[in-house]
Amino acid sequence: MKRSTMLAGLLLSGSLALTACSGNATDAAKGNSAGPGGPAATGGTVQVLANAGFSHLDPVRGFDGGVNNFYRLIYRTLTTQGAAPGADGTKIVPDLATDTGKPSDGGKTWTFTLKDGVAFETGAPITSADVKFGVSRAWDPEIGIGSPYAKQIIAAPASYQGPYKTGELPSIETPDAKTVVFHLKKPYADFGSVVAQNTFVPVPKGSGAGTELDSKPIASGPYKVSAYKPGASLTLVRNDKWDVKTDSVRAAKPDGFQWTFGLDPATIDERMIAGQGTDANAIAGTIQAASVARIQTPQLKQRTLSGLGGCTTYMGLNTTKKPLDDVRVRQAINLAVNKQTVRDAVGGSTLADLATSIQPPTIVGRTDYNPYPSQDGKGDVEAARKLLTEAGHAGGFTFTLDTRAQPKMQAMAVAIQQALEPLKIAVKINIIDTSTYYEVIGTPSQQHDAAITGWCPDWPSGATFLPPLFDGRNITAKGNSNLAQLNDPGVNKKIDEIAAMKDVTAANTAYGELDQQIMKLAPMVPLLYEKVLMVVGSNIAGAYLHDGFSGGIDLVSVGLTDAGK
Amino acid sequence: MSTTPTLLEVEEVGAPTSGPPTSTQRILTRLVHDKAAVLCLAFLLIVVLMAAFAPLITKLSGWGPYEFDSSAVNSALGGVPHGSLGGISGEHWFGVEPQNGRDLFARIVYGARVSITIALSATVLTGILGVVLGMLAGFYRGWVDQLISRVMDFLMAFPALIFMIAILSSLPAGNRPVLLVLVISAFGWPYLARVIRGQTMTLANREFVEAARASGAKDLALVFREILPNLRSSIIVMSTLAVPGYIGTEAGLSFLGVGVTPPTASWGQMISSSVSWYSVDPMFFAIPGAFLFLTVLSLTVLGDKIRSVIDAGEAA
Repeated sequence: MKRSTMLAGLLLSGSLALTACSGNATDAAKGNSAGPGGPAATGGTVQVLANAGFSHLDPVRGFDGGVNNFYRLIYRTLTTQGAAPGADGTKIVPDLATDTGKPSDGGKTWTFTLKDGVAFETGAPITSADVKFGVSRAWDPEIGIGSPYAKQIIAAPASYQGPYKTGELPSIETPDAKTVVFHLKKPYADFGSVVAQNTFVPVPKGSGAGTELDSKPIASGPYKVSAYKPGASLTLVRNDKWDVKTDSVRAAKPDGFQWTFGLDPATIDERMIAGQGTDANAIAGTIQAASVARIQTPQLKQRTLSGLGGCTTYMGLNTTKKPLDDVRVRQAINLAVNKQTVRDAVGGSTLADLATSIQPPTIVGRTDYNPYPSQDGKGDVEAARKLLTEAGHAGGFTFTLDTRAQPKMQAMAVAIQQALEPLKIAVKINIIDTSTYYEVIGTPSQQHDAAITGWCPDWPSGATFLPPLFDGRNITAKGNSNLAQLNDPGVNKKIDEIAAMKDVTAANTAYGELDQQIMKLAPMVPLLYEKVLMVVGSNIAGAYLHDGFSGGIDLVSVGLTDAGK
Repeated sequence: MSTTPTLLEVEEVGAPTSGPPTSTQRILTRLVHDKAAVLCLAFLLIVVLMAAFAPLITKLSGWGPYEFDSSAVNSALGGVPHGSLGGISGEHWFGVEPQNGRDLFARIVYGARVSITIALSATVLTGILGVVLGMLAGFYRGWVDQLISRVMDFLMAFPALIFMIAILSSLPAGNRPVLLVLVISAFGWPYLARVIRGQTMTLANREFVEAARASGAKDLALVFREILPNLRSSIIVMSTLAVPGYIGTEAGLSFLGVGVTPPTASWGQMISSSVSWYSVDPMFFAIPGAFLFLTVLSLTVLGDKIRSVIDAGEAA
């Protein structure tokens, strides 16, 4: 349930930008030969230039593409995503556990066994009790604000409020120090993916109350936090209690990482393009649209990484408002929106692809189809007009489009406004402050007719994409993610059918079909699959974009070509 | 008004035969003989005509201010305009906006509308508020003066810009131009009112006012027929010099994102969105920047010239 447009994603991936440096890198231009994809040497300190700081260091609190990627440096979970480009990166592999879990009781009970030799930074071994304690923190109403899956899937007494308030959680058993058994509310075939969520990070029993972990995390991964000034800087050094023999995922080549937060995006672009001094060892978040034209030289192109962010940017159409309650009107809007101009508004073809379906291409089992085609995605005004005339709205109407007070979001809103003008549809743009935006559009009593937002999957399966956005029984008075307020019996039924499937592959294919079934109802206009476009320093090696982390550079694999620089 | 007015003259104030020495005609004659003033007037005339006939002008140029032109920008390069100098061509006279290809000429023309309308409305409003309240304070003195002066002190001591940003971002979107005028005026009138108050105080003690009062004129007549005509030169000078300030304030607020809302064109907003493009498309900054600069400069120079003409007239 990760709500984030790539815009948020941009800031976040900004925080994934790495700068490598270790002292004076005077002849930084050397090392070009290897390029960002070359093998990384052991040692050196990777530095990160970022605009926004991390939301939380506490794994149960933070939940976005940026921190999820970062957490893998300091935390380990029972399973985790792979560390490789493409589909291998989104494959679930064992991490602390020896395998991806053994189901029993028809998939209602899952058993995991911990590896030998895994330890916290304190030297204390990681036991099943620590895993249980870490997970149970998710139920604490103040702490458990991150990934909701543990709470949704694992059985727990209704009154349970986490280990600090209520005590032990009876539905997680620890028969011995190496074994942990989860009892679920109902069978869940893909539970092996769920335990890769940050809520499954072990926390030493009894510690981590309140905001303790936000300032001083207890590391189980290859690095530990040595200094943290929120909003300014963060330093990671090696965790010598981490044993590489127990970890098949993390390369962890550099000796440390150094984040610098609060830099202006334009400044980051300038520094990355110039690549002077220590910045030669840098990687950066997605560049601004205005910088795209400047990175077209062969030297810079060699230092550029590009790929899909794995999210869908869309305009939700509130199906409870007139005249958007008429499916023909929603289809007409889908036909008429000029996705080309929307794409240009966010930075053109290098920064986004035109979206056609709800699920982005990185989702397993997705079908590539275009239910509302038009030439080059420029919108089919004639077909739209026909539908509107049929629906009795040939004379047009007015609707209010909620958007965030951010130049890029406003530009997208204006592009949509312009595209619907020939149909005499007057779009009133309602600009909402960034800090309250999701609160407003997630409150059905306050949201307007339409809103521009985005959605990223928590793991690349339709399970984390379609049900949160379109299950009619999930419409809540606050924090609602079903912006369309679609409550369609056919869709709800299909969601239940898929949830009951034992075979994960078949379920993913079925989600692809559900995508098409939902788009027939046109509760949203898929606008863009935004891309990441990063310039990295010339001394960076082992860098690739990880599909599982909103297209951020995989931090556990990145390193330096020459560690001595 | 340096001549000692006789009773006869007082009754004739406002009559065309014996206009005050700082007559509009004399100011104009002096100004048209000043090269700088003529240049400024010519530029301002262009801007005002642009603002007034914006729809006609954009019909001629062929592109409206909100019309997208995807073919004018290079999508593969982040939306930078095709061609040199920000896409200046026969099609788009001032080039286009990056990322959406909106015609810069049309947006400059419509932006002039916003700037001029807001600045002039704010000037009129502050003029009325400043003159009325200033004269009230200066004429009646006592508690009226105390009250008005304290309000003025309060407003002038206020960190106006910060407060304007706070007010404008917390108010619902509504009618932004009207809100801008109200907010700018609320903080602008004390500067005029303070000068008017001082001048009213001196004028109220002058012989011709005493004489009018002795001959039975009512307060209202004294204020409007005796004092106000003598404040005319101050009002003209202060207002002319205030207009560029208000244009700058409007542009500044739009730059900070609390001015008029998109897609309405505004110079300040254009400058704000051009910031990140300065290296790849400097014209996007240069064109609205030049218009804003020249407008403010022209108004300032013109205001200065008017003041010196009036001062010279008073000295004569």
